[in-house]
Amino acid sequence: MTPTVYYPCKYAPIELLAGYGAACKPVTYEATSFEDADRLAHPNLCGFGKSLIAFALKPEVKALVLTSCCDVMRRVYDVLDAEQCLDFLFMVDLPHLTGPAERARLASELERLAEAWERYSGETFDVGAALASFEPPVARQDARVTLLGAHGPESLLKAAESAFDLPVENLTCTGGRRVASPPASLGRAIRQEACRESCDASTPAPDPKEAFIGWYAGALLDQTPCLRMADISGRQNLIGAPGQRGVIYHTMKFCDYYGFEYLMASQDAAVPMIKVETDGTRQSAGQLSTRLKAFDETLVGMTDTLKFDKGTGPIYVLGVDSGSTSTDAVVVDKDGTPVATVILPTGAKATESAQRAIDSVLEKAGLARDQITLAVATGYGRDSIPSMDTSITEITCHARGAHALCPEAMTIVDIGGQDSKVIKLDEDGNVVNFVMNDKCAAGTGRFLEMMARTMELPLDEFCTQGLSWKHDVKISSMCTVFAESEVVSLVADDTPVPDIIHGLDRSVASKITSLAKRVKAEPPYLMTGGVANNEGVVTAIGEALGAPVATSEDSQLCGALGAALLGLEALV
Amino acid sequence: MSQMTKSDDQKLGIKILDAWASAIDGVMDDRPDITGFWLLKAFQVKRAQCRFLPDRWAHPSGRQAALLALESVTGALEHPQDIVLTSIFMPNEIFQSLGLYPLIAEAAANFVTGAHAEPSFIDSAEKHGVPETYCSFHKVLLGGAFAEVFPSIPFIANCSVACDANNLSFKLLAAHYGAPQRYIDVPDSYTEENCRYVAEQLESLARALEEAYGRTLDLEDLKERVARSQRTLDKLVATLPLRRNRFVKNNMGLEMQHALVFHTLLGDPKAEQLATQMLEDYAGAPEFHGVNLVWSATAPFFSVPLQKLVDVNPEQQIIASDMCFDQVTFDGWHHDGAHEPFPAMAERLIRNSYNGGGQRRADRMAELCEMAKADGAVVFCHWGCKETMGCAQLVKSTLERADFPCITLDGDGCNRANFPGGQAATRLGAFLEMLHARKDQRAAAHPQPAASPRDESDKQTVA
Repeated sequence: MTPTVYYPCKYAPIELLAGYGAACKPVTYEATSFEDADRLAHPNLCGFGKSLIAFALKPEVKALVLTSCCDVMRRVYDVLDAEQCLDFLFMVDLPHLTGPAERARLASELERLAEAWERYSGETFDVGAALASFEPPVARQDARVTLLGAHGPESLLKAAESAFDLPVENLTCTGGRRVASPPASLGRAIRQEACRESCDASTPAPDPKEAFIGWYAGALLDQTPCLRMADISGRQNLIGAPGQRGVIYHTMKFCDYYGFEYLMASQDAAVPMIKVETDGTRQSAGQLSTRLKAFDETLVGMTDTLKFDKGTGPIYVLGVDSGSTSTDAVVVDKDGTPVATVILPTGAKATESAQRAIDSVLEKAGLARDQITLAVATGYGRDSIPSMDTSITEITCHARGAHALCPEAMTIVDIGGQDSKVIKLDEDGNVVNFVMNDKCAAGTGRFLEMMARTMELPLDEFCTQGLSWKHDVKISSMCTVFAESEVVSLVADDTPVPDIIHGLDRSVASKITSLAKRVKAEPPYLMTGGVANNEGVVTAIGEALGAPVATSEDSQLCGALGAALLGLEALV
Repeated sequence: MSQMTKSDDQKLGIKILDAWASAIDGVMDDRPDITGFWLLKAFQVKRAQCRFLPDRWAHPSGRQAALLALESVTGALEHPQDIVLTSIFMPNEIFQSLGLYPLIAEAAANFVTGAHAEPSFIDSAEKHGVPETYCSFHKVLLGGAFAEVFPSIPFIANCSVACDANNLSFKLLAAHYGAPQRYIDVPDSYTEENCRYVAEQLESLARALEEAYGRTLDLEDLKERVARSQRTLDKLVATLPLRRNRFVKNNMGLEMQHALVFHTLLGDPKAEQLATQMLEDYAGAPEFHGVNLVWSATAPFFSVPLQKLVDVNPEQQIIASDMCFDQVTFDGWHHDGAHEPFPAMAERLIRNSYNGGGQRRADRMAELCEMAKADGAVVFCHWGCKETMGCAQLVKSTLERADFPCITLDGDGCNRANFPGGQAATRLGAFLEMLHARKDQRAAAHPQPAASPRDESDKQTVA
């Protein structure tokens, strides 16, 4: 019995292999360690390529068919070929064009694969089995969210499925395999030729395999193209298709292809889109879940989903924001006016800090827990806070809170300890679009903290000193590690400390401007989050955006306030 | 008055360039035309310096290469209506025959870096959503295009060799400029069928260019150029044994300029003259007793710590790099350029050592090390170049099996900010110390006679 043939790419000719009775499965493996891939190849390959190497090294994996779909897949092939770890390894050289010459070229590649498989398995080709293996592509019309872009790791698919009420359709580069069904005439022609061969030996009949491959090469190339194909006009219908309610656009660190499509598609997308970047591992699950849930909240609207009984007594709503650096709590009355507020450091245990914040704010408000009509949690730790009535993501809450603090603001720039966000609002304070930094610390409060540590300055002093800069110093690197090297070099060159800090402030501003461009941000701007207290960064962002950036004394309470106000609006 | 040392001179030069780069950075968003103008002026000044005040330390061929490389980029920018935007691996004889100016994406980026202006270009690209992990050469190109610093491009012709960036940048730029684009799809392996497939695409490209620019291709001229390309590459191969234990007097920048000339100008009489001059120069070069390196991929020519180690250094030198030898053949040509120009160009593309599997690159490096009698090799993993990074260990293990020690260096060949030069210099320095020790041990175990004198200049001995 031949082993299962694994494949990563939608252009893999699995129906041809099915003609030999081979069972084919897509690779969905997510490695927990890239140790082997880093050793055999390089750390700066995409997570999918590295997972694929780890997968192929497993003893139970025997056969793998790759395509030359991208640089990483070519090198995965090279590495595995050199390792000789598989019984059967083949790479189909896939053309970038789709004309008649390319079909002929792919057909000859498929012939090469067929010969190699015949040699390996000893099986013969059964055209009937090949034709029977096609799954007819069905165009979907139902209400759904589409996952597009680079290969979607299993953890991303699961996170998306749990974040959305609507079904999630996977049309990523590895998920959107839709090969046309063979025309009935092909099966008939092959059978007739076989018949003629037996009836009229004087007329040589074409080989059924050759006839099948001749058609099949075209069918493979006629799929909705992936980004590596020269002509990608066939992808235009992927966004804005009937029934599609939103698009999650996935890009993967060190896979450059799909950032480009997002770049073009996001400019005039007909449906709401969110860009999610992962490194192809299960890490950052919390941030991923927040972003997807926040997107779901923008798709369905909070007032449609949240409804709570307001009861008969006086109305007090509690909002708690459990963030990475601080835990904030706000109680508002029936008019939305804050009755009491509390800001506490989060410390090592988020749940305990949240409980302390709740106890403290209730004490300040002079209320008992049972006098709270509704309690709403937000922030990273939102789902871990006990006895809350509901939770909403900090993106939606920040937007609502910011709108309350500064109703004219159209764009919120929020820079917290571990992430930064730009949220674009409509006139009513609803989230129109938002973008967050990726896993990397660049452009976050953590980045500034690390740089302050490098310069051996307390954070307060770091912020103050940056205001007295004299000369422009450019810190070019966005990467925290490289920026640290640059800072060390500048210190070694005796560059004045205020100038270096100003350079760092500008570096953060540059990162934020990139995010702002992605959501087409427009003034008036309001900045929230802990970094809003850093005047140097606020000024640098204003200069980079070309408009002043307002701050509010209560900006750190934005998330908790927004949670309380959204809760108040949900009371019926 | 104290005299300025060479080091002071370099520091002053860098300060002037930084001040200049900072000035153009300030106007790039609002007046890209001014940035473009000053960039071209900087290239023209450098070209004049190469013409009238060439580097005295270099061989005549080195001076020629520096000038030709600058002329290729400056010439294109001076003739915007006749530019064809292309990639470094694309055959250029068709463009030359039609009197067009190929603007090589990688070359334009390299010269922007040479002018210390790459941060603004990269910033511009990233602000427009280009991924941070993308190749810096292409980021500079895209950043310049988005900021409208480069002139409007009338035609784009690129090929799939050697990396995915070719499938992305040029497509995006074609949309940005509204320019026609021709894409040459190059299969991984050489067969006559694949050769015909690529040759037909090149012929079709020639027809498209004739139509776009309203010119007629002179087939006899093309044949002459392609035949000359093959002769030039054969001469280049002939330089390899002449480099053994000879001082080639180069630096990382010059090595990249040689690579540029043997791509952009291949087919032009100037490139053949350069190869001929190299034969002459190396035959008469002084003896060299230091460590000889073969370099793979781009080189961070701007890195001062690395410059100190390998640039015109009597202790250690880059004796050859695979970017100059990607198109050559050691076993003859299947198609004669004088009779079959399109199949001959197609053959060169498919058999390019940067095309196809990584083992091909590894084998080419081993051949270069053997032919030039190198002491070791460096694989430079340029940021964003998955093709190189993915096969770096394969190249290293292949070379080590052939008894050539090899080090892989991570960095960036285009973006200073992305290159920790000090750390790289420590690693390369340690590797060089190891190679020196190894060479000394071997010399002690197997004493070799000195290299035979080839001409008068051999009397000059280095290190």
